[in-house]
Amino acid sequence: MPSADLFLQYIVAGMMLGALYTVMALGITFIYSIMKMINWSMGEFYMIGSYLQYIFVIYVLGVKYWYLGVLVSAVSVFILGCILEPVVIRPMFGGFVERRTEYATVVTIALMLALRSAAYVLGGPYQRNPQTNLPRLTLGELTIPGERAVAFAGAIIAIALFYGFLRFTWFGLALRAAAQNRVAIQTAGVNIRRLDQLAFGIGVALAGVAGALLAPVFLVYPTNGAITTMKGFEIIIIAGLGSIPGALLGGLILGLVEALCSVLLSPGFQHAYGFLLVLALLLVRPYGLFGEREREV
Amino acid sequence: MSYLDVHEVTAGYQPGIDVLQGLSLQAESGAFVAIIGPNGAGKSTLLRTIFGLLHPHRGRITLDGLDITMQSPHKIKQLGVGFIPQGINIAPHLTVEENLKLGAWTFRSNARLVRQRLDEIYTRFPVLAERRRVRATELSGGQARLLSIARELMSEPCLLLVDEPTAGLAPHLAEHIYELLSSIHQRSGSTIVLVDQHMEAAIAIADYVYLLALGQIKAHGPSETFTPTRVRELIQASLLGV
Repeated sequence: MPSADLFLQYIVAGMMLGALYTVMALGITFIYSIMKMINWSMGEFYMIGSYLQYIFVIYVLGVKYWYLGVLVSAVSVFILGCILEPVVIRPMFGGFVERRTEYATVVTIALMLALRSAAYVLGGPYQRNPQTNLPRLTLGELTIPGERAVAFAGAIIAIALFYGFLRFTWFGLALRAAAQNRVAIQTAGVNIRRLDQLAFGIGVALAGVAGALLAPVFLVYPTNGAITTMKGFEIIIIAGLGSIPGALLGGLILGLVEALCSVLLSPGFQHAYGFLLVLALLLVRPYGLFGEREREV
Repeated sequence: MSYLDVHEVTAGYQPGIDVLQGLSLQAESGAFVAIIGPNGAGKSTLLRTIFGLLHPHRGRITLDGLDITMQSPHKIKQLGVGFIPQGINIAPHLTVEENLKLGAWTFRSNARLVRQRLDEIYTRFPVLAERRRVRATELSGGQARLLSIARELMSEPCLLLVDEPTAGLAPHLAEHIYELLSSIHQRSGSTIVLVDQHMEAAIAIADYVYLLALGQIKAHGPSETFTPTRVRELIQASLLGV
């Protein structure tokens, strides 16, 4: 039987990672809510966020200002998303595209391959580490690596800002409405193309934030977004596609399940526990905990 | 020149299939125009095309002399056009007040005006005032329809396009909606273009009537010329392709 300290340490670690996976899941489910499409290239925006963090910390800002790197990375990924959306995604909504889901799947997978290949060409297959100057955090008997604690805090701030934006701004109101009725938002006079662009930018920026925050933990390399993206999709299956409150709870559940199973069973199968949870949930509640019956942002 | 001029417009949802087939229609400023016709005539498609949700393949649409043929809905909205589509046009999980605020999108930077219009709407629709913090999904069908209309009134449109406002409503609620549309027309002087399956009721409140069938205008004229007998004959002739 593991000691109480070890048990607590795993739970805290699980919850911290769960919060970061939630940021990723929020990005995926947010884009889906507004644009009714799954962006399969989310992991690559995570990867870009992590590379930008590395570049800003190592070559521009220095280790001391790593937190500014997170902000600049997020803004940069947001701008990149806003630039790519009209080129790659928008044709889906124009003309007579009948199979929008298939279109979105094909173009975002193509985008994933293009961005990943670009990372290999520009940065090589090497793992890089954007260092931080953060000391270990001690809470009683519990010690937490500084970069993990800060990544968790950053995730909470990102989620809070995202929530505040949706809840208290005009564009947030328009985005929440667009998730429920795209015609109603157009008859209100909202430019739906700009709103889609904004939604895509915000969605991928959330992935970029996760990438930047987790860069010192999981390092920086061309395929580093794969695991986090997979976790994001696991959370969405647990929560139900399109539910943002569900994504928050789903991230917590996934993080706790992985942590508890790791300490009680074996840490070697950490990633498998999430999959087993997803499989079990698909058997009893295939639409997820909050799916379809309540879809809103 | 008419306030709204739809000139030989051809439009449809699929390539090669035109729902509107060279349709022309005019509405004078301050007029109340009813568009009637059998199912599949293209009535709703016409309103969607005027509002820019569907772009015509051919033809021209002008509003007060300005060409709006290929404009996006948000641009057309900025010109003072409101559109109440068929069914309930609200965001169900937003509160009543949030839905109404969306109607103020085009002047959202003017917080005082937004508040003033909200107060006006609440005075006019006390039932919405009572339920302002309630999610729209909790409203009854009639209340939700009122909210759809009230939301459009927030922007005080010069031209209001209304598609089947009473479809699926109980007769007494439908009557209330017609009274409401009539009072909007009288009070604000807006031009109203109403598409309705309830032909008698639509003709009764309109000044001018267009009868559509198979994407074309089959008859038009002052509403008093559309007697029940004539309407029946026109519809029969349209359905039989005469």
